[in-house]
Amino acid sequence: MAGLLKKTTGLVGLAVSQNPHERLGNLYVKILSCLQRIPQDAAYRKYTEQLISERFNHVKTEPDVGKLEKKINAGQIEEVIAQAEAELSLSRKMVEWKAWEPLIEEAPANQWKWPI
Amino acid sequence: MAASLVRFVRSGFGRSLNVARQSAAIVQTRSTTTESRPTVRPKDPVTHSQLSEFGEYVAEILPKYVQQVQVTCFNELEIMVHPEGIIPVLTFLKDHTNAQFRNLADLTAVDIPSKQNRFEIVYNLLSLHYNSRIRVKTYTDELTPLDSSVPVFQASNWYEREVWDMFGVFFTNHPDLRRILTDYGFEGHPFRKDFPLSGYVEVRYDDEVKRVVAEPVELAQEFRKFDLNSPWEAFPAYRGPKDAPKLESGDKSEK
Repeated sequence: MAGLLKKTTGLVGLAVSQNPHERLGNLYVKILSCLQRIPQDAAYRKYTEQLISERFNHVKTEPDVGKLEKKINAGQIEEVIAQAEAELSLSRKMVEWKAWEPLIEEAPANQWKWPI
Repeated sequence: MAASLVRFVRSGFGRSLNVARQSAAIVQTRSTTTESRPTVRPKDPVTHSQLSEFGEYVAEILPKYVQQVQVTCFNELEIMVHPEGIIPVLTFLKDHTNAQFRNLADLTAVDIPSKQNRFEIVYNLLSLHYNSRIRVKTYTDELTPLDSSVPVFQASNWYEREVWDMFGVFFTNHPDLRRILTDYGFEGHPFRKDFPLSGYVEVRYDDEVKRVVAEPVELAQEFRKFDLNSPWEAFPAYRGPKDAPKLESGDKSEK
């Protein structure tokens, strides 16, 4: 329906999405399942789960695209899709890096001291 | 005619002087009333707290790599990162929904020869979505290579070539790491602090050989020694703790 009314997003390289709800739902399910592989107390999992599930709820409950965009409040729905895609690739990489572990190495003494 | 003109000019000049005096008096009174508020840069606590909150957020999510977070006095958020974590941190800042720093505005290096890791590599990122900027800093020395950020930001391709050319910092996995600014056959890294200001070679056109020849620099005049020490203390706010004169333990035993 959005595709019938909306001809362009006005952003270069960002095409109008024909089925934003389906696309967003798929992406959010994937992100949430990927986050399951991160320990429960990791800050990244905590914050991202909260953010994604909030947006997922909006997607589930709001069928109208215009109102959904206002509820999510992160630009057009195509931009929200792009953000979800980036978040998905990031969450997969975070599992690889294990970024929740403690600091690998302290900086040498006075490395960040300025002026010397 | 001329005399009247001169008179006119004089009277005009006198008037303007009077006006100037009056205005000076006004300025003086004003300055006395508002002297309680010194002319310093206005503080922006809202931006400052937002930035420090976001810095804490990043440090909490990436505890493995973030060594230090600070907000400068000009309200710029700086994140100090271990060199191994530069790709994860940049990727996180680019891809996370609450960050979205999709533009690499600048990448450069700082040379501080007295430090153990003499090169500081600085990444300036811009988030168009949230209209904010962030600075990521890491460190390396002459021999340790750093991960190239080209897989994350295409823009860093030429910047890293520039840093390689000017400072001699090696970036692994860079697709095309070669000189970018210096001349063909140039040797050395000109932005290093130990590189002489006059360089090592100079070029001139030789009429006999019919080409440009490069020769070692010959200075007609000896280097003058400039004393650059200022009599003023440059950074009084960053004064270190005073070294109390200590008596060595050996002295006491002798007495």
